[in-house]
Amino acid sequence: MTNRVKEDKSLLERSFVIGIYAFVAIFALLCIIPFWLVVINSFATESSIKLNGMMLFPKEFTLYSYQFTLAGKQIMSSYLVTVIVTVAGTCLAILITSMYAYVLAHPKVKYRKILSFMTYFTMVFGAGLVGFYILVANTLGLKDTLWALILPYLLNPFFAFIMVSFFRTLPYEINEAATIDGANDLSIFFRIIIPISKPVIATVSLFYALQYWNDFYLALLFIDDYKLHPLQIMIRQIISNVNISAYVGGSNTNYSQAVPTYGVQLATVCLTIGPIIFLYPFIQKFFVKGITIGALKG
Amino acid sequence: MIKPREEHTNETEAGERMSFIREITKNKYLYLLALPGLAFLIVFAYIPLSGHLIAFKKYRLADGLWGSKFVGFDNFKFFFMSADWYKVTFNTAFLNGLFLIFGLGIALILALFLNEIRHALFKKLAQSFIFMPYFISWLVVSMMAFAFLNTTDGMVNHTLEAYGAEKVNWYLKAEVWPAFLTLIYVWKFAGYYSIIFLAAITGISGEYYESARIDGATRFQQIIHITIPLIRSVVIVLGLLGVGRIFYGDFGMIYGIIGDNSALYSTTDVIDTYTYRALRVLSDFSKSSAVVLYQSVMGLITILIFNQIAKKIDKDSGLF
Repeated sequence: MTNRVKEDKSLLERSFVIGIYAFVAIFALLCIIPFWLVVINSFATESSIKLNGMMLFPKEFTLYSYQFTLAGKQIMSSYLVTVIVTVAGTCLAILITSMYAYVLAHPKVKYRKILSFMTYFTMVFGAGLVGFYILVANTLGLKDTLWALILPYLLNPFFAFIMVSFFRTLPYEINEAATIDGANDLSIFFRIIIPISKPVIATVSLFYALQYWNDFYLALLFIDDYKLHPLQIMIRQIISNVNISAYVGGSNTNYSQAVPTYGVQLATVCLTIGPIIFLYPFIQKFFVKGITIGALKG
Repeated sequence: MIKPREEHTNETEAGERMSFIREITKNKYLYLLALPGLAFLIVFAYIPLSGHLIAFKKYRLADGLWGSKFVGFDNFKFFFMSADWYKVTFNTAFLNGLFLIFGLGIALILALFLNEIRHALFKKLAQSFIFMPYFISWLVVSMMAFAFLNTTDGMVNHTLEAYGAEKVNWYLKAEVWPAFLTLIYVWKFAGYYSIIFLAAITGISGEYYESARIDGATRFQQIIHITIPLIRSVVIVLGLLGVGRIFYGDFGMIYGIIGDNSALYSTTDVIDTYTYRALRVLSDFSKSSAVVLYQSVMGLITILIFNQIAKKIDKDSGLF
């Protein structure tokens, strides 16, 4: 009798475990199938996509989509814009954010609570679109400049508070020891604090880099000149633009061949997410850490 | 916010100013470090607050912010009298509600299940796959959605056709989009939230499970009676913080996927896309500004209320 119960239970237990594996496996597959579709079909011929739709395993392969996309001027200039904005933006942002967060976390600073509150307030009551638009477009006159894509994201309060919570964990004795040795606060920060804060700096830098790379909001608002279109706006243009070949080619180019519409869209998407996918295995753990700190510490 | 410190309470105003200057000079290098960040906040977060004034004015670019004519609450009247008011507010709250319930719900299930998986490689791969959609932009997501849903060559319609059903023009059927957007949201953020839940689950002491196993509890019973009760506060806090932001639509998501497709506005137009169009398409700064201010005030109230409740439940996570 007891044996029977035990057996039932272990059977139930086993099917529960199998169910769990199945659920997770199916969900994980659903998560990457769209990536697979986009990548594999960027190598499919236009005619096969037109005939069968996007397939998990297309039958005819070609590099024509990439040849066509890369032959145009737009992809190069969009890539350049995105890389410049991401690199310059991330470097500036991490510098400003870490300096600012360090002061917010420093026990010697009497007005740090006022500074914290000023930072927190911007998270709960924003200026909203109109004031922001007028500032950047009219007051600062940054329309159709790269600065419009960089400056507005230089200090993210959420990332700043992640850094604050890290700096608070550093022992104050570091400070005292360095002060006795005659170092001022600037050299303490740049010579001592920065080197020992590499993990959090790496994490927050990656969050900034991802934000800059993926953003299309600022470009949508402030960039009309196609020469300054970042990759994300290029994707938007070739989804909605009627005259793809002129856009991809750069204004005056006229292609005599047929335009592989789907192919160009998919190839551009792959070229855009390529660096992220490629780096993903190496950077994933930093994001996991950042999300965990951000959620638990606030 | 800041309580005046004891030693300052009896000082005169001049003394206060002196101590301000003394503090700044004493820690001049530290304040120097904070200066770029502070300047950024003033320029990009505080000066634009003056844009809210436009909500009470008939704004004309030539007249500028201060020169434009004051019209009181006319812009608000205009917005609240129109059918748009109810539509965009409802859509924003409804879509965010769906995202929150299904996003957190599925992520919780995933985290609970991932925690039960003992096969290390399987677990690592599954987690990597599930987290991957978090890394791509909404325009790329929109492109992927298009690959599935477009009328002539989309995967869904090809499948429907293969089974003898009619093709459906999804990009004209507004009623299905709340469901599609929820699916997309879950797809993109399940990994993100499950990381938070998994971190909370990992923090649970192993002793609970050990003693439960000795008492003969099955894995399912352990999940129900140990794991869920112990991470309940994390779930509730995340939920409350989400409710606090219920009036803030995800512009990047909605505009990235729906774009300017007016056939879908009836179920997908949120406050943020509405104000964007009012500004960029209609160039109606005053109307846009009135809606923005409405959203900011509603947002402030809900955030403060729900953050306060969240703080009561778990005082560590009260900041946001």
